[in-house]
Amino acid sequence: MELSESVQKGFQMLADPGCFDSNAFTLLLRAAFQSLLDAQADEAVLDHPDLKHIDPVVLKYCHAAAATYILEAGKHRADKSTLSTYLEDCKFDRERIELFCTEYQNNKNSLETLLGSIGRSLPHITDVSWRLEYQIKTNQLHKMYRPTYLVTLNVQNTDSQSYPEISFSCSMEQLQDLVGKLKDASKSLERATQL
Amino acid sequence: MLLELSEEHKEHLAFLPQVDSAVVAEFGRIAVEFLRRSANPKIYEGAARKLSVSSDAVQHGVEGLTYLLTESSKLMISELDFQDSVFVLGFSEELNKLLLQLYLDNRKEIRTILSELAPSLLSYHNLEWRLDVQLASRSLRQQIKPAVTIKLHLNQNGDHNTKVLQTDPATLLYLVQQLEQALEEMKTNHCRRVVRNIK
Repeated sequence: MELSESVQKGFQMLADPGCFDSNAFTLLLRAAFQSLLDAQADEAVLDHPDLKHIDPVVLKYCHAAAATYILEAGKHRADKSTLSTYLEDCKFDRERIELFCTEYQNNKNSLETLLGSIGRSLPHITDVSWRLEYQIKTNQLHKMYRPTYLVTLNVQNTDSQSYPEISFSCSMEQLQDLVGKLKDASKSLERATQL
Repeated sequence: MLLELSEEHKEHLAFLPQVDSAVVAEFGRIAVEFLRRSANPKIYEGAARKLSVSSDAVQHGVEGLTYLLTESSKLMISELDFQDSVFVLGFSEELNKLLLQLYLDNRKEIRTILSELAPSLLSYHNLEWRLDVQLASRSLRQQIKPAVTIKLHLNQNGDHNTKVLQTDPATLLYLVQQLEQALEEMKTNHCRRVVRNIK
């Protein structure tokens, strides 16, 4: 993991009981996790009365350092020993290391889910709806009598947050072909998971 | 249901008894060919010269035949109705039989061509799929995230369109389930009754 000097400096401040007493340390740590993981976290996450005695610049600096480190650790799936080693290097005492690791462990799943959801991907199919019709005639052709399906795929775009739809019509044979191919895909998915 | 033939139409068709049946058969072939692709006026001139008639007469004859065939195919009239409709033209027995045969032989194809004139939406053509597993991304390493990538081929009025989409395994199973239900619908009593009774 590549971490900048400012992260290290921030952590060294966090390690110092003169700067952050036990309570303040815990609060800041929790605030860091909260602002990353809680979608509704408001900007006043550092506004706790027990943090008022600390210089706001220091608070923000350490909060940023903690958040940066947490994201990097999550990205690389750091284990407890990696975390401990780094925190020891920043002169954390045993108690604070344990606290950090516990908080990290509690929030690990949410963190990894959040990180996994960031990124570009192809438009994602989320839903399908269908309509069955029986065609009787057009103005060019009478006595048609044939069933057709209208299928709509709901699609979600990751970057533009738009929800376009793809609609197409198909005959019964074509729908059978489509379903057959999707079933092949899901069978081979099943087989792959059994390997 | 009988075909209504206008006076003008009957005039155009009146040319047909003046030539022999081989020529009428040839006109029939030209008519269907013109429906498949577009009309080529040069053919009229060639035929006109060979038959020593005006190219207009040939053109009218072929067009009259074309209209007769397309209207009959569109309405899907029965053999009997076709014979009765043609009867009013006062052609010979042989010519009537020839026309009927022309109608029956080409009806299916003409109806396919006519169906392409209907307003059309994007229609399904083909589907290709691929199984992918995402192993890492810029924001998270050491992942195992399965996904199914799908290339959907669609057609609209001859334009080929492809869309590349993705879905996760759970949604794939859901899609299969939903679409299988759609296919099952045609076998229900309700749909069977409708199909039986609308003729």
